[in-house]
Amino acid sequence: MGKKELKVAFLLALRSLQRGSKSSVILTVIIIAMCFTNMIFLPSMLNGIGQSITKQIMDYETSDVIVDPKIGNQYVEDKDAKLALINGMSGVQRASPHYSKAATLKYRQRVLGVTLRAITPKDEMLVSPLYTKMVAGSYLGEGDTGEIILAKPVAGDPTIKREDEFQPSLGGVRVGDSITVEFANGFTKDYRVKGIYYTGWYVADATGYITWSDMEQVEGKTLENAEYITVKAKPGYTEKFIKNELIQYGIPDRVQTSTDVLAKNMGRILQSYAIINVVSMFVSVIITVVVLFIIITIKTINSRRQIGILKAIGVDKEVIMHNYGFQVIILAVLGIILGIIIALLLNVYMTYNPIVTADWTTSLYMTPMDLAINSLILFIAAIVAGYLPAYQVSREDIQSAMRA
Amino acid sequence: MIRITDLRKIYQMGDVEVRALDGVTTDIAKGEFLGIMGASGSGKTTLLHMLGLLDEPTSGQIVIEGTDVSQLTDHEKTMFRLYKLGYVFQDYALVPDLTVMENVTLTAMLRKDRTEEQYRKEGSIVLQKIGLFDRRDHLPRELSGGQQQRVSIARAMVNKPDILFADEPCANLDSENSRMVLDLFREINEEMQQTIVMVSHEEWHKNYFHRIIHLKDGKIVSDGDNQ
Ligand SMILES: Nc1ncnc2c1ncn2[C@@H]1O[C@H](COP(=O)(O)OP(=O)(O)OP(=O)(O)O)[C@@H](O)[C@H]1O
Ligand SMILES: [Mg+2]
Repeated sequence: MGKKELKVAFLLALRSLQRGSKSSVILTVIIIAMCFTNMIFLPSMLNGIGQSITKQIMDYETSDVIVDPKIGNQYVEDKDAKLALINGMSGVQRASPHYSKAATLKYRQRVLGVTLRAITPKDEMLVSPLYTKMVAGSYLGEGDTGEIILAKPVAGDPTIKREDEFQPSLGGVRVGDSITVEFANGFTKDYRVKGIYYTGWYVADATGYITWSDMEQVEGKTLENAEYITVKAKPGYTEKFIKNELIQYGIPDRVQTSTDVLAKNMGRILQSYAIINVVSMFVSVIITVVVLFIIITIKTINSRRQIGILKAIGVDKEVIMHNYGFQVIILAVLGIILGIIIALLLNVYMTYNPIVTADWTTSLYMTPMDLAINSLILFIAAIVAGYLPAYQVSREDIQSAMRA
Repeated sequence: MIRITDLRKIYQMGDVEVRALDGVTTDIAKGEFLGIMGASGSGKTTLLHMLGLLDEPTSGQIVIEGTDVSQLTDHEKTMFRLYKLGYVFQDYALVPDLTVMENVTLTAMLRKDRTEEQYRKEGSIVLQKIGLFDRRDHLPRELSGGQQQRVSIARAMVNKPDILFADEPCANLDSENSRMVLDLFREINEEMQQTIVMVSHEEWHKNYFHRIIHLKDGKIVSDGDNQ
């Protein structure tokens, strides 16, 4: 096949599409575009859910690396020494200690059980974006005492009746209000609500935060142990690197990256996502292949005599084959481009209108790589579907083709 | 120059043997305008297709310009048709999606010995010759049958083939258009010494042929110069 042959094949293909049935071309392109959209939409959405859960767990639970008590221990002991050690490591941005305790919140007639979390606000700000999620009032300050921040679903909405609530709340606590907190050990104290936050992550949104010093008051002693410590890596450092660094420095506790934690919790979910993705891709590919195969087969059957004539006047069979091949390529490229446009529009739409559930918030997650790989798969499928009938018809002998 | 020796084509239809060509031997000289005539089913198209390398004989030999065409591979035959032969069919057989100009230059575009500039120029020349240059951007369906047949002759002529084959080129045309087509054949035959082999069963076409071969049941029953 030389340049001239390809040029003639392309001319024949282009003219056949230009001067043939417009509606057939448009419908074919739309079908391919829809197949492409179908191929990319569900996986991107599941990916988006996975990504958003991952991000939320990292933001509000584990950060990059989490240090838990070693097996058999209840606490990460001697936290001050460990924090100093970890904060001195090269890849570490900040380590933040956590301590939580079950408590009952009381406000007017409402009573709500939660697990309150104690933090050192200055450390936590470098580890978790919670401080950016304030919807009213302000975040905890380092030296605050008697102050609490609550999740919006915990604070509640005074306009919603108790029986209509999705999640039990305090029925409309506002910044500045005072609430009574009774801890599991019996310690009871009134706290002023300093701020209200909303993260979208259901665990964080079912609780509140107080300062470390307030928690020491609750326990009636200086807290030398932490329940767990979260560690944030500096930009450019991987969580794996931090984990290794912690282990090398001899941290005796259980050190896990967020990926380690997620793998345990999300492995099953991700597996079923993978099956759904494969099925949706398979269906799209099959539809594309069948549609293009039928279209090209019909085209070739309808132009058998035409093909015979072309061969008779000296057009090589390869030119005939590539004529149909190019038609499929043009249709597939147009379909894929339209599909990419639709997918990107959906992506933009879902960014502004994310799917919100009680547990997580998600929009589509698709990378240029996802688009490229799906385009390639569909493109190859299209070529196979088109070249099969094209190859067959181009091989027919002139006599039987011309008599058709 | 074409030399045909004991050419046979036998179709096996179950138990029945159809001898479409039954031992045809003759020569066709360069520059000759040869008519092949005979009743329907006498083997005219079969003979023309053998000579035009569109079909394989059961036995016998065809030598065109010193080449024994039975020795050619499939691809060589395609190239032989592209470079040396031209065809005009009864139903014009133009590509419906291509313009008149694109139809005419299609095979020229494939030839290694033609530049784009050359085939565009030659396309224009042949279209002017058949009087359809101003319709060059029209589609075949926008032309009358006679005009389409002239375009198909232009397509065959643009490559200046050694031999031009025409199978009942006037069968779908009225007598005026038929005359136009035949005049065109005569003109290129006389001006360019173009060898033409044409199948016909219209008696009045005889006037145009230098020589006429009559076929009956696959055999030559008469072969003589036309006077
Ligand atoms: N593919 C084929 N299979 C079987 N028989 C065939 C085939 N092609 C041609 N024949 C037979 O060969 C004989 C010659 O056919 P051919 O087409 O050459 O006739 P023709 O002289 O061109 O007739 P017409 O004037 O009707 O075009 C006929 O009897 C025809 O039925
Ligand atoms: Mg015939």
